[in-house]
Amino acid sequence: MMDNNSAQRLPGPQAGAVKFTMLLAGVVLLLMMVFGFVMRAAQGDLLDLDPAMFYQLLTAHGAGMVGTAGLTGAAILWYFMGRYVPLARGVFWAFLGLFLLGVVLILGAIFIGGYAGAWTFLFPLPANSGGVWGADAAAAFLLGYVAIGVAFLLLYLEVGRKLIAAYGGIGGALAWPLVMGKGTVEDAPPPAVVAAMATTIFNTIGTVVGAAVLASSLVNLYFPEFKVDALLAKNMIYFFGHVFINASIYMAVIAVYEIIPEYTGTPWKTSRVFAGAWSLVLLFVMAVYPHHLLQDTVMPAWSLAMGQIVSYLSGIPLLAVTAFSLIVYLRKANAMRWDLASALLVLGVAGWSVGSVPAIIDGMISVNKVMHNTQWVPGHFHIYLILGEVAMAFGFMMWLIGKPEHKAIGGFNWAVFSAYVLGGAGFTLMFLISGALSVPRRWAVHAPEWVLQSQIATGFALLVILGAAMFVLRYLLGLKHSAGR
Amino acid sequence: MQALLASLLVVVAGGGLLWQATDGGQALTAESARRLAVQRAPQPVSPFALETMSGASAAIPDARGKVALVEFIYTTCPTLCQSAGADMFRLGNRVREAGLADRVTLMSVSFDPEFDTVERMQSYGERHDADGALWTIARPRPDVLPQILSDFGVIAIPDRMGGYTHNVAVHVVTADGRLAAIHDTGDFEGIIAAARKALR
Amino acid sequence: MKRHLRPGLAAIIMFACILGNRTLEADPVLHVLVQLPLLGVCGALLAPRREWCWAQGGFAPLLAALFGIAFWMLPRSIDGAVTFPVMTAAKFLSVPLIGMLLAIGWRQAHALLRGFLKAQTVSMAGFMAFLFTHSPVRLCNNYLIDDQWRLGFGFLFLAIGLAMVWTIPLLFNARPRASPRTRAEPMTHVQSGVPA
Ligand code: HEM
Repeated sequence: MMDNNSAQRLPGPQAGAVKFTMLLAGVVLLLMMVFGFVMRAAQGDLLDLDPAMFYQLLTAHGAGMVGTAGLTGAAILWYFMGRYVPLARGVFWAFLGLFLLGVVLILGAIFIGGYAGAWTFLFPLPANSGGVWGADAAAAFLLGYVAIGVAFLLLYLEVGRKLIAAYGGIGGALAWPLVMGKGTVEDAPPPAVVAAMATTIFNTIGTVVGAAVLASSLVNLYFPEFKVDALLAKNMIYFFGHVFINASIYMAVIAVYEIIPEYTGTPWKTSRVFAGAWSLVLLFVMAVYPHHLLQDTVMPAWSLAMGQIVSYLSGIPLLAVTAFSLIVYLRKANAMRWDLASALLVLGVAGWSVGSVPAIIDGMISVNKVMHNTQWVPGHFHIYLILGEVAMAFGFMMWLIGKPEHKAIGGFNWAVFSAYVLGGAGFTLMFLISGALSVPRRWAVHAPEWVLQSQIATGFALLVILGAAMFVLRYLLGLKHSAGR
Repeated sequence: MQALLASLLVVVAGGGLLWQATDGGQALTAESARRLAVQRAPQPVSPFALETMSGASAAIPDARGKVALVEFIYTTCPTLCQSAGADMFRLGNRVREAGLADRVTLMSVSFDPEFDTVERMQSYGERHDADGALWTIARPRPDVLPQILSDFGVIAIPDRMGGYTHNVAVHVVTADGRLAAIHDTGDFEGIIAAARKALR
Repeated sequence: MKRHLRPGLAAIIMFACILGNRTLEADPVLHVLVQLPLLGVCGALLAPRREWCWAQGGFAPLLAALFGIAFWMLPRSIDGAVTFPVMTAAKFLSVPLIGMLLAIGWRQAHALLRGFLKAQTVSMAGFMAFLFTHSPVRLCNNYLIDDQWRLGFGFLFLAIGLAMVWTIPLLFNARPRASPRTRAEPMTHVQSGVPA
C-alpha cells in the first residue's frame, strides 16, 4: 500500500508539465467564463450583442469549457498515476501538443471561419449553415475535435497499458478480486487507480465512437451524397459528449482521493463497496446517455426506458463512490485541516452530488418532455461543472502550489472561496428557476419577461469570475514563489 | 532520420494517390466519377438506332439535330424507373416552359430490349403520359446494347427478384454525338442548363 | 506456424483468391471482408523478417499501408475492381503488398502505436458500418442496396469482434498483483504480432 506521508513530498512525474497545463487551463477557464458572462448579459439586455456573435460565443464556450474540463481531468490523472506506474514522459507532451493543435483549429473555425453550430456539431447543422459559415470552417472545427480525441486516446493508451501490466489486467486494476470477495483490502489497488482504470476504459470507448461519427460528419461535409443518419449520429454524438464530460469529472475526483488523505493523515483505502460502485459507474456512464434523447420519439422505447432507469440508478453508485465514501472517510479520520485546496476539493464532491439531483429529475421522461430544451439543462450541468469539476481542478491547483504546512483557510481566502460558492450557487439556481419557468436554452435574445432573471444571473456570474480570477492569480503567484525557492 | 524521411515521402505519395483516386477530392463513388469525367470533357458515344413505342425508328444522336436527354429503364421496373418516369414527365414540361421543345428530345431507352416489346413500351408510355413527340420510349437492338451501356457507363445488375438494379440518371447527348452531362433525374435546373449549353 | 510453410500457404491463398475471383467479387461482403483481408494475409505471410532503418518505429510502412487501405475503402475503387481488368490486376498486386507493409511495420511498432492503430481500426470499421447501413444512395454501381446494407453489418460485426478480441485478454491478465510501486513491465506480450 502506498504510504501517504511519503507521497506528500513526492512530486508526480512531470510536475512541471502538469503545472504548466493547469496554468493554461486556468487562463482558458477564465476566458470562457467571460464568454459565458457576455452571453448571459446579452440575454439580460445588459449589452448589445449580435446574435451571430452570441452563437459563436456559445460554441466557443461549450467546446472550450468541455475541452478544458477534460484537460484538467487528464492532467490530474497523469499526475497521480505517475505515483504508481512509470509513465512515458513524451506521451504527455504529445497529448498537450495535439490538444493545443485542436484548440487552435477550433478557435480558428469559430472566430475566423464563423462556425457557430454549437459544441455538439449535430448533423446536419455543420453542413447546413445557411451561408453563415463554409464547409471549411465546419471541417476545421471537426478536425480540432479529432486532434483532441487523438490526444486523449494516446494518454489513455499509455495509462491503461501501464495499469494493466502493474495490477494484473483490467479486472485487477478495478479491484474485482475484492468485489468478488477473494482479495483483501490491503492488496487492492488504491482508489485513484480504480478510478483511473474505469475512466480510461469508458473514455477510450467514447473516443472511438466519437472518431467514427466525426469521420462520417467530415465526409458528409465534402461529399453530400454520403448521407448520415441523423438519429444514429445524434446517438453517437451524445454518447461521446456525455461520456467525455463525465470522464472529466471522474478523472478530477482522483485529486480528492489522493490529496484529502494528506489533510487527515489517514490513508483512503479501496473498500468492497467502493470498488463495486466504480465498476457499476463504468457501465452506467455508458448506458445512461439516451436520457439526452428522451425527446426523440423515434428512438426505440426500450433505450429511453433504459436511459431513465439507469439515470435513477446511476445516482446510487455516484453518491456511493464520492459523497458517501468521502463522508465515511472523513468520519473515520481523526482531524481534517481546511485550507483553500481541501475546501475546494470537498466543495467539488458536494457540488457534483448536488448537481446530479436536477440531472436525475431531467432524466425522467415526463419531466424531460417539458424541460429538456429549457435552461434547466444548463442549470444542472453548470452545478456539477462550476461547483464540481472546476472546483476540484482549482483545488488541485491550490494544492500544487501549497506549502507543506497548509495555511488554514481564513480572511481573504475565505472571502474568495465564499464569493465563488455563492456566485456559483446563485448563477446555477437562476438557470434552474428560468428552466422551471420554461425559458428556452440557447436563445440569443430573451423575451422581456425573462430579462430580469438573466440580469440577476449575470450578477452572480460576475462573482464566480471574480473568485476564479483570484484562484488563478494565487496560482500564478504561487508558481512564481515556488520557482524562486 | 531515414525513417522520418521515408514517412514524409509516404505521406506525400499517399496523399497524391488518394487525390488522384478521388479526382482531387471530388468523387468517392464510381457514379460521381462518371458524372465528373463527362462534365470535364464530353465523351463521344457510338451512334445507334432505336425502335420507339409507336414502332417508328429513331437514333442517337438525334438525326434532326436535336439535343437528346436520355435515361435508361426497363418497363417492368417496380421502383426507380417509375419515379424516374414521373421525373421525365415533369422534365418535359420544364423543357416546354423553357421554350426548348423543338430543339430537345426526351428518350427513355430500355436496356431489356428482348422483353420490352413495342406493346410493353407503349403501355409504360401511357402510364407516364409520354406524348410520343417530345418524349418517347424506345429500345435498341440487343446486340448493340453492351456497347451502349459501356459508352454511357450504365451498369444494370439482376436484383434477385426478377428485375434489375441500375444507376438512374438523365444523360445529355449533343447533336454531334457527344455525352455532355449526367444529372439526377430530378435535377431539372441542371439538366435544362446542360441542354442549353449543348445547344450552343 | 513453421516458417517454411508460409510461402506455400500464401500461394494457396493467392491461388484460391484468383480462381474464386468471380464468385468472391459478386458479393461485396465476400469481396471486401473476405477476399481483401485474405490477400492481405498472403502478403503478411511473405513479409521478410528484417528490420530496416527506413522502417524504424514502423511509421513509414504502416502509413503506406494505411493509405493503401484508404484507397481500397473508396467505393469507387471497389467498383473499379469489378468493372475494369486493370483495377482487378491492381487489387491482386497491391493488397498483398499492403499486408506485407502492415506486417513489417507492426513488428517494429511501439506498443502505443499498436494500441492507437487498434482503436483507429475499430473506429473506422464502425464508420464504414455507419456509412453503408445508412447511405440512402447506392455507393457501388455493381452492388445492390441490400448488399451494401449487409456489408455495413459486416463492418459492424468486424468492429465489435475486433474490440472484443483486443480487450477481453486484458480483463484477466493472470499475473500476481504486484505491489503498486514496482516497475511495470511493458505489456507487449499481451499483443500477438497479428496485423490489424
Ligand atoms: C462564470 C461561469 C459561467 C458562465 C457565466 C456560463 C454561462 C453560460 C451561458 C449563458 C450558457 C448558455 C445558456 C443557454 O443555453 O441559454 C452556457 C452554456 C454552457 N456552458 Fe457555461 N457558463 C459558465 C461556466 C461554465 C463551466 C465551468 C462549464 C464547463 C466546465 C460550462 C459549460 C457550458 C456548456 C457545455 C454549455 C452548453 C453550450 C451549448 O448549449 O451548446 N460553463 N454557459
